[in-house]
Amino acid sequence: MNSSQPSSQPIHQFRRFLAKWLSYRRNLVGMAITIALGIILYAKIALTQQPIQLNVMMSALDAAQAQSVVQRFEEQNPNIQVNLIEGPNATNLVEDLYTSSFLLGDSPYDLIAMDVVWLPKFAAASWLIDLPDRIPEEELTDFLPADLEGGRYEGRLYRLPYRTDAGMLYYRSDLLEEAGLEPPETFEDLLTASRTIQEAGGATWGYVWQGRQYEGLAAMFMEVLAGAGGYWINPETLEVGLDQPEAIEAINFLRSTVGEGVSPPGVTTYQEEEARRLFQGGNSVFMRNWPYAFPLGNSEDSPIQGRFGIKPMVHAAGETGAGCIGGWGLGISNTTAHPDEALEVVRFFASEEAQKLMALENGYLPTRESLYSDPDILEQYPYYSGLLEVVQNGVLRPPVAQYAQASDILQRYLSSALTGRTSPEEAMQLAANETRILLGRS
Amino acid sequence: MTTTIRERERRTGWMLIIPAMLVLAFVYAYPIARSFWLSLFTENLGTQLQPVFSGLNNYGRMIQDGRFWQTIANTMVFTISTLVLELILGMGIALVLNQAFKGRGAVRTIAIIPWALPTALIATTWAWIFNDQFGVVNDILLRLGIIDTGINWLGNPAPAMLSVIIADVWKTTSFVAILLLAGLQSISNDLYEAHSIDGASPWQSFRQITLPLLMPQILIASLFRFAQAFGIFDLIQVMTGGGPGGATETVSIYIYATVMRYLDFGYGAALVVVTFVLLVAVVALAAFFLSKLRTATTGDA
Repeated sequence: MNSSQPSSQPIHQFRRFLAKWLSYRRNLVGMAITIALGIILYAKIALTQQPIQLNVMMSALDAAQAQSVVQRFEEQNPNIQVNLIEGPNATNLVEDLYTSSFLLGDSPYDLIAMDVVWLPKFAAASWLIDLPDRIPEEELTDFLPADLEGGRYEGRLYRLPYRTDAGMLYYRSDLLEEAGLEPPETFEDLLTASRTIQEAGGATWGYVWQGRQYEGLAAMFMEVLAGAGGYWINPETLEVGLDQPEAIEAINFLRSTVGEGVSPPGVTTYQEEEARRLFQGGNSVFMRNWPYAFPLGNSEDSPIQGRFGIKPMVHAAGETGAGCIGGWGLGISNTTAHPDEALEVVRFFASEEAQKLMALENGYLPTRESLYSDPDILEQYPYYSGLLEVVQNGVLRPPVAQYAQASDILQRYLSSALTGRTSPEEAMQLAANETRILLGRS
Repeated sequence: MTTTIRERERRTGWMLIIPAMLVLAFVYAYPIARSFWLSLFTENLGTQLQPVFSGLNNYGRMIQDGRFWQTIANTMVFTISTLVLELILGMGIALVLNQAFKGRGAVRTIAIIPWALPTALIATTWAWIFNDQFGVVNDILLRLGIIDTGINWLGNPAPAMLSVIIADVWKTTSFVAILLLAGLQSISNDLYEAHSIDGASPWQSFRQITLPLLMPQILIASLFRFAQAFGIFDLIQVMTGGGPGGATETVSIYIYATVMRYLDFGYGAALVVVTFVLLVAVVALAAFFLSKLRTATTGDA
């Protein structure tokens, strides 16, 4: 036909092909967009019906024990799902994992289960959202004062405690009775009672405590120091009290326990378990330890079953005994997309219902005073009534952001003073100086 | 156009070397320069993690920091003890492996296994071996009647240091042995033959031929091991975590604690810089001896 334009024919063909292909492609693009929109819409619907996911990491043991609380929470809040992520069992490793996740940015955790000593650091690094004022004041009145205070940093509340812990004095009630003695109140009482019972052959040792260089040493010393009327760091003024006479008195008391043969020389290498084994084996009249030792000491196969009591730590004449507060609570991470839902979890974990459950199931010490008179709890753990006095007299390790560093400084010098490598005065002078440099006060 | 062949070669040489230099600059120079820059600031929890210029404050603080000096001392004890032990044992192993015997290939392969295993795994294993209650070491010593009660190896300062040294020697000796073995194989047998015809005893041959000719390899092995041992982290972190009471805490572990636990970035950077300078000084010294040695043995600079 159009033989006059033989050369144009392939071009026409090509154009037609192009137009066809383009329209085909346009259809294809349209189709793809429709499908994509459909998927997004569907996903959106599906996602909004899915519960909100909240992540929290705990040591593997704690995570297992928190399972039933989470279950109950999810039953009551079907729109929220709490994922318990198992961390290492050593809590310092859990802290390291939290720390690196925040340092790298975009932490995957919505909630943080915090030891009381981490809080100032996490808050100062602004990794936490402060708990909004929506928590009614009356919800806070039941908490033990020191435990609640441990959740504050520079006046703001970042954490609600769900489990407490406090150092206290264990004493052998049978031995004291035999010797006609009352449980000791002061440092001097404890030394005298120990020597009397030791001389009578009641027990090899008078008093066992934690003297090894580790965090437990700082906690134990905190109690003796507060009992002597001294202080470590004043969180408001950042004054350091380690080189004050009260701190020297505290060290001298600890040194005299070894010097007078009341404590075994090896006590400066002891942690909680070494002390507990000696006490539970009936080899010591007194022991400083955490509440976990109580049910163990009262177990069926324990030689001292039913023959010991607990009371707040001994102190200098005219002062009061103090127990160092430990324990755990939940805070909200600043990277969470769901702070409101996270707050619900924080409140539930600290609630009476959850704490009672944890006390009955795991033997946790509640942070609410009312639970210490709860009939169900007292039926299972009659000794909780005596614990209230201990946890009410709790003292906090200094809530300063650089606590970890300050604690390491104290541990180093305290350990060298306790083992006699340095005199107490010199050791505390050095410790105080380094702490002041650390806090920028020199 | 008076470029000589030598000049042109030199230019080509530079062209070829520039990419490698750039990579080195990015991988090494930049982090060190940045650490140095950061070390001039105070950036920690006290400053809400914001950098505040503080000049040489961090370095001044280091001088008063008893813990820093203790970690330097610990690191030196660890480095020197492992280095000496590994060289002696590595030399012995290398001499044995250099002999012709049946199954030599298999033994050489097996000898390298400790070095090839992951350190964290080895450290965990050694921690159990030295465990005070269930450890193999205490069990053997008790059975032999050498001790009456188990030694708390990782719980006391001196035994803990000894334990980590033993673990490191076990792991890294084979590396030294392989390096030395390579050197031994490059020494011609003729030398020994001629020497023994001259009436030299094996000990004399070792002193007068093996040791001098092996010196470059010994220095290189020392250099490698020094740099690695000085920066030791994983083995000790897993075995003792630096404890008890900082008795096995090395500089690397202290730096880790300063940065990761204390979030004291400025001070941590200052620690890094000082450690780096110390390390470079020692390596430069060793490299200097190495080049002198080369000159002495080959006559070429």
